[in-house]
Amino acid sequence: MRRGPTLFRTLVAAAALTVSVGALSPALAQQTKDGLNPTGQNPTAESVNEEFLFKQDPKITGRISIPDHKAANLIQPAGRDYRAFRESWLPWIGALAVLGIIALLGAFYLWRGRIRLEPNADSGKTILRFGGFERFTHWMTSSCFIILSLSGLNYIFGKRLLMPLIGADAFGVISQYAKYSHIYLAWPFMIGVALMLVLWIKDNIPNRIDWQWIKAGGGFLGKGHPHAERFNAGQKMVFWMVVGFGSAMSITGLMMIFPFALTDITGMQVMQVVHSLIGVAFIAGILAHIYIGTLGMEGAYDAMGSGQVDLGWAKDHHDLWVAKEQAKTRNDSRISPHQVPAE
Amino acid sequence: MKAFIIALIVAVAIGTLAATVLNEQQRFAYQAFATSGARVSDPAGHSNLVGPKWNGVTPEPEKPSKS
Repeated sequence: MRRGPTLFRTLVAAAALTVSVGALSPALAQQTKDGLNPTGQNPTAESVNEEFLFKQDPKITGRISIPDHKAANLIQPAGRDYRAFRESWLPWIGALAVLGIIALLGAFYLWRGRIRLEPNADSGKTILRFGGFERFTHWMTSSCFIILSLSGLNYIFGKRLLMPLIGADAFGVISQYAKYSHIYLAWPFMIGVALMLVLWIKDNIPNRIDWQWIKAGGGFLGKGHPHAERFNAGQKMVFWMVVGFGSAMSITGLMMIFPFALTDITGMQVMQVVHSLIGVAFIAGILAHIYIGTLGMEGAYDAMGSGQVDLGWAKDHHDLWVAKEQAKTRNDSRISPHQVPAE
Repeated sequence: MKAFIIALIVAVAIGTLAATVLNEQQRFAYQAFATSGARVSDPAGHSNLVGPKWNGVTPEPEKPSKS
């Protein structure tokens, strides 16, 4: 008998619930109309957006499950600036530096001509200017530098200048081998720069004589030759350029050979920008060095060719060095007549 | 001339040594970063992501015309 009232109460409760839900439905439908949040907030406006995230960090990153954390990088707007530099500014800067120095050297050659040997009483005799190990170091570094320069310029200009001439397939093969040479010959180049520093730093410390040499125009502008020790101020500039630029290229290059080892993506882009800008400046500087060591001055190439230079040339261009070497030789000959003269 | 030839030989020798050491040290991304839970594809033989005609310059998107 007790089941009757229980069933009745259940039916009444179900009916009341149904009526209440039916009555509330229009009100809920009214609140969520047009996507409005029942709380009155706009979820789109309140959500985290790109602008907000960039105020906290220059990159937007996500969460990933693979161990390559670089892959978490989603947006890095600085990459667009880097690409604009790489594709728009760098080719023009590179062309200006390389073609500019070639034009300057050409103009200088037309104006000054080749600086000739001036025969004097000492012409015909020779003196050892660079020993075998010094020449080995120079040629190892310089031959690597030439390959590094050409393969480096291919990174900038290859697809613009070379690919239209030889086709995409040949360009692809050449670029692949150029890239190998760039990465692997960087090592003997770095060793060569380090050896140069050790070999020649003692003769490349700037002093007052260099200032006098610069004030006299280095013998290029006027007549006569200003005093110079083993290296004149111009050669010292080349030495410090090679050591400074060579070190900078080595550090930035190592960062790229071992990508992301010490820097993130922004650092990698900065390294590439620095590497390319110093690279084109380095090429321009070395072109001037090659000019004066070959076409620009008669007798200069022998210093790195055979190592022996004309004594008359040496006395004209490096008089203080010759005097010191001859004094050393005289002193040595007093000690032992069998000792070879110093370099 | 002897110093020049020796310099070239030594440069190639150091470069070859560097190539050998570097190639032994590094692994491809698909080898280094694949895990039991994530597979990174071997890129060899597949088309690159930017396509064959990519020239490095991304064209600016066209602005919608005012009408």
